Amino acid sequence: MHVCTGCSCLCDDIDLKIENGRISRAYNACRRGAGIFLNISSSRAKPTIDGQQVDLERALQKAQEIIQDSENLAIYGLDTTTLEAQRLAIELAEKKEAFIDDNSTFCLGDFVEMILKKEIPSTTLEEVKNNAYVLFYWGTDPYHSLSRHLSKFTYYPRGGKRQRGYEEDRFLVVIDIRKTHTAKLAKKNARFLKAENDADIIRGFIDALEGRSPKIFQKEIPRILKEMEKGGFNVIFGGLGLKYGLGGDYALLKEMIERMNERSEVYFMPAGCHPNMRGFNELLFEKTGHVNRYSFREKRSSDDFAFHRLLKNDSADTALIIGSDPLNSLPLEYAGKLSEINTIVIDPRETFTGRVAKVTIPSALSGVESGGTMIGADGSRIELNPVFEAEINDEYILKKLLEVV
Amino acid sequence: MPITPMEVYKLLPKTNCKKCGEQTCMAFAFKVINREKQIEECSPLFEEKKYANQKEKLLELLEPLKEATETGLIVDEERCTGCANCIVVCPVHASEDPYGSGSGYGPKIEDPIYRLEDGVLKIINVKKCRRYGKNRILCVACRENCPSDAISFLEG
Amino acid sequence: MPLEFSKFLKKLSVEVVVGRWSFQVEAMDRGKFSDEFIERSAVIYLTEEFGKANGFKEGDVVRVSSGNKSVNLKIMFTDVAPENGAFMPNSIYTSYLSDFSNFKRFNATLEPTDDDVTKPEEIMQKVLSKI
Repeated sequence: MHVCTGCSCLCDDIDLKIENGRISRAYNACRRGAGIFLNISSSRAKPTIDGQQVDLERALQKAQEIIQDSENLAIYGLDTTTLEAQRLAIELAEKKEAFIDDNSTFCLGDFVEMILKKEIPSTTLEEVKNNAYVLFYWGTDPYHSLSRHLSKFTYYPRGGKRQRGYEEDRFLVVIDIRKTHTAKLAKKNARFLKAENDADIIRGFIDALEGRSPKIFQKEIPRILKEMEKGGFNVIFGGLGLKYGLGGDYALLKEMIERMNERSEVYFMPAGCHPNMRGFNELLFEKTGHVNRYSFREKRSSDDFAFHRLLKNDSADTALIIGSDPLNSLPLEYAGKLSEINTIVIDPRETFTGRVAKVTIPSALSGVESGGTMIGADGSRIELNPVFEAEINDEYILKKLLEVV
Repeated sequence: MPITPMEVYKLLPKTNCKKCGEQTCMAFAFKVINREKQIEECSPLFEEKKYANQKEKLLELLEPLKEATETGLIVDEERCTGCANCIVVCPVHASEDPYGSGSGYGPKIEDPIYRLEDGVLKIINVKKCRRYGKNRILCVACRENCPSDAISFLEG
Repeated sequence: MPLEFSKFLKKLSVEVVVGRWSFQVEAMDRGKFSDEFIERSAVIYLTEEFGKANGFKEGDVVRVSSGNKSVNLKIMFTDVAPENGAFMPNSIYTSYLSDFSNFKRFNATLEPTDDDVTKPEEIMQKVLSKI
């Protein structure tokens, strides 16, 4: 059985058929996961300097030179690599008094931070499967982003106290701005709330909890609260829609969850995103008390140290990007600067950022060609079980870079 | 979209010649839909040139019936994201594979009704499906929980 | 005749919602520089009713503009797009059109165009040449 690193579900029941040294069939993986296992040789990165292909040794040497000479290094990405590699990156940042930031800054880092700081109660997916009754999917469409989430962990599987299946033992609440594929599943024992404004919905719940009639969803909100009381153990999965819907202000969200917990157990979980985003957050938190946007020189975390801000403000002269493609996922007005400074990209596949980088170093696919540990969205540690073992992986490359520091 | 007997009837010779063994072309159309008769049993359709055009259209119309399994379960792989809702929700899987697909994992039995292969749903042993056989019932659990309509039943 | 008529259609203003699309992620693993990536990413989804009501059909190429940025995308229909808006899978196309203040939802205008769908390399050119 192998572990899929397609998303933070980290499904550990993937069966693979290997013929002639190639993966010919993947069982139990969703479309995204199977895509990773079955397309190992597609679009693999090559070692390059200034866009020209070179020997791996030469590329590593050049990267070492750049790192050595850098005065304001910014390390970015990291959410698709293992804890072992993330630790090395953090060590490198510390030694170089560099900035370090991961994808969580524009993803669900805020939610993970609240959980790690114990500002909001959380639980594990195993507990959810065995106990949860009301399941909220707020501003997230797991059908596409975490395809097996509902069937493996939450709405459909039977477990523990929930043996009777979704029609009797689960209550699904989907809150989103449009009727997503996930929302279409909210049929019988379920509700879909079309959210124009997330704060208004939260206020509606707080009003109902305080005995007042909510201003919106006057029937649905009280019904949901009743079901939550009946269920005794409930969970809210919060996604990017909720984060951006609230504009980064979580006071109301925290208040709502606190109030809800007066009536029954309610836990909050980041819906999920990159396979090891939480891993990075936990490692950095352990070391610095912060989950992202950190400067080892100033020994503090700030919005100014978010990777896109560093680019915008010309605060970095070198960027080391590991397992991420900012030209694909960050607003381009900042990402374009990557072609101006000394950018090193470490990635198994060809990326847009790699095209404009000074140096690209090909790495191994985590979970397929390289092992290690990852932490899922719920904080569970999963040990990878790669099919192949490539020598040149993120750990190897980072160790090389650490040699010159 | 389920294929109706009327759609089949419209493309038959409509002579009620009884060569297929049925009293009327309409009766034959029903039997073709239920797969109790093959379209080839209408010999005039295949032997007479004047029906050539209708024959072509009929063969095209009935193409999905070939792919459909005995229960009429059709999977449109293009629409499937591999969410496995269908696999886990299936009442047969719940009872025969409670610690496998019943609990959210990939099937642990040798011959589940279906499972994920290469990221999409693949039918393995449809005979286990409750829609199949003499005592069949109208179970729609899998289709109801597929948000992208990747699963359809031929009979509607 | 329909092709000429489309030139007279007014610009359609929509709010675009950005989200994950499983089929597009699969294309990313096959290769960001592949035709498949463009096929799955350079798209803007509308509901069939909304699209048809505004004179669009599936496969039409439209110029999608947000502020002073624009790309050419293919129209596709889906029933999960916002009723009177649009949906785009997140990729270099949405990263180009949006910014952090409207990362998941941004306003854009759509108008028919005879040009081809924009390639990622063209976007990179636009961004790099500004520097």
